[in-house]
Amino acid sequence: MAARRALKAVLVDLSGTLHIEDAAVPGAQEALKRLRGASVIVRFVTNTTKESKQDLLERLRKLEFDISENEIFTSLTAARSLLEQKQVRPMLLVDDRALPDFKGIQTSDPNAVVIGLAPEHFHYQILNQAFRLLLDGAPLIAIHKARYYKRKDGLALGPGPFVTALEYATDTKATVVGKPEKTFFLEALRGTGCQPEEAVMIGDDCRDDVGGAQDVGMLGILVKTETRNVDGATIE
Amino acid sequence: MAPWGERLAGVRGVLLDISGVLYDSGAGGGTAITGSVEAVARLKGSRLKVRFCTNESQKSRAELVGQLRRLGFDISEGEVTAPAPAACQILKERGLRPYLLIHDGVRSEFDQIDTSNPNCVVIADAGESFSYQNMNNAFQVLMELENPVLISLGKGRYYKETSGLMLDVGPYMKALEYACGIKAEVVGKPSPEFFKSALQAIGVEAHQAVMIGDDIVGDVGGAQRCGMRALQVRTGKFRLGTVAECEAQ
Repeated sequence: MAARRALKAVLVDLSGTLHIEDAAVPGAQEALKRLRGASVIVRFVTNTTKESKQDLLERLRKLEFDISENEIFTSLTAARSLLEQKQVRPMLLVDDRALPDFKGIQTSDPNAVVIGLAPEHFHYQILNQAFRLLLDGAPLIAIHKARYYKRKDGLALGPGPFVTALEYATDTKATVVGKPEKTFFLEALRGTGCQPEEAVMIGDDCRDDVGGAQDVGMLGILVKTETRNVDGATIE
Repeated sequence: MAPWGERLAGVRGVLLDISGVLYDSGAGGGTAITGSVEAVARLKGSRLKVRFCTNESQKSRAELVGQLRRLGFDISEGEVTAPAPAACQILKERGLRPYLLIHDGVRSEFDQIDTSNPNCVVIADAGESFSYQNMNNAFQVLMELENPVLISLGKGRYYKETSGLMLDVGPYMKALEYACGIKAEVVGKPSPEFFKSALQAIGVEAHQAVMIGDDIVGDVGGAQRCGMRALQVRTGKFRLGTVAECEAQ
């Protein structure tokens, strides 16, 4: 068995690992302090389509976690990173609350499409506009492809079905950037200068956190949390 | 290339697609495609039997024929094979009561259908009526059913209107399939039953018929799989890229 290289980066999942709703996971604050003492780069990673980094930072600071904004990496960050690499101007079909994470990216005369959980944008005219851009060669970036999510009035269509619709219409495939996709972990590590073999992911979801990380060559550590809303089909 | 005469030997009947072949739909009743009015007249003046075989599901046959006649086409309702009537037949046979995810323009085709307490979903080219709310209603109906049935009037990816390319029913059908983990039943081209009923209507066998359409998959591919010959026109939604894809397949 090949020897592992020294650990240089640690990715830590947020919901279910560092905190559960508005309560810190017992022992998490101390664990983070110890991690800070080691010479590793730390990133706090999560799937989200409507919380900007600022929103997450505020919540974590209230729970007395010592975290800075540039240590947070979300599926929105992954999308932004991809847009910057491809040097494209996106049509953003995302929740308004996610827009701050795309500040500074040009959106006029779009030549790319980004889709998140944004029911207010999933009506015919807007999707048709997106369709025409894609047919002309624009790349399609999906924050995730959840089939549905839970609302007070029952189940509601997630972005997945609409991404599928556009893929079928244009005979192309979307790049999905949320966990457990490889893109997510690779983009999270991009800013650290570390290789996957030098990094570990700590999370509570066997498939999305540990499984996804292992698929790109990282080490994965599964934490067991007592209360979890388990519904494999839904991510918000 | 073999002369046309050889390739079309023995043809007694012609199935004509409408959108993209006869006209492009759009504001103000749409626009006739250059030469199509005359072509239909010539076909009808010949000994060939003519049947219009369309997946049009945004408007009723009456409205469609009305628009085409105003553009100068020699066409009547009785000469059109369309998916809504075919779907109604199926709904009645199987005791199905649909949630209709459709455009109001085609609702009259479903007047005889019981839509109370739906036990299935019928999805057509709803256009602007493909709102998130309507899609979600259809999704919720399907998720409540022990035996979810989704009937789709065609599965085309897109079509051409005068203002540009428009998403057709296919992508929305795929959206519901993905959301619910089910497969839709397609009524209309390229389903073989649909072509067969059009052929029966003019009393012509498949090997004696040719289908003329702009959709390489729905019109041409579907017809060929039934044993018909097919001609692809370069109007309507035709794009060079799609021809290359089909050749590669």
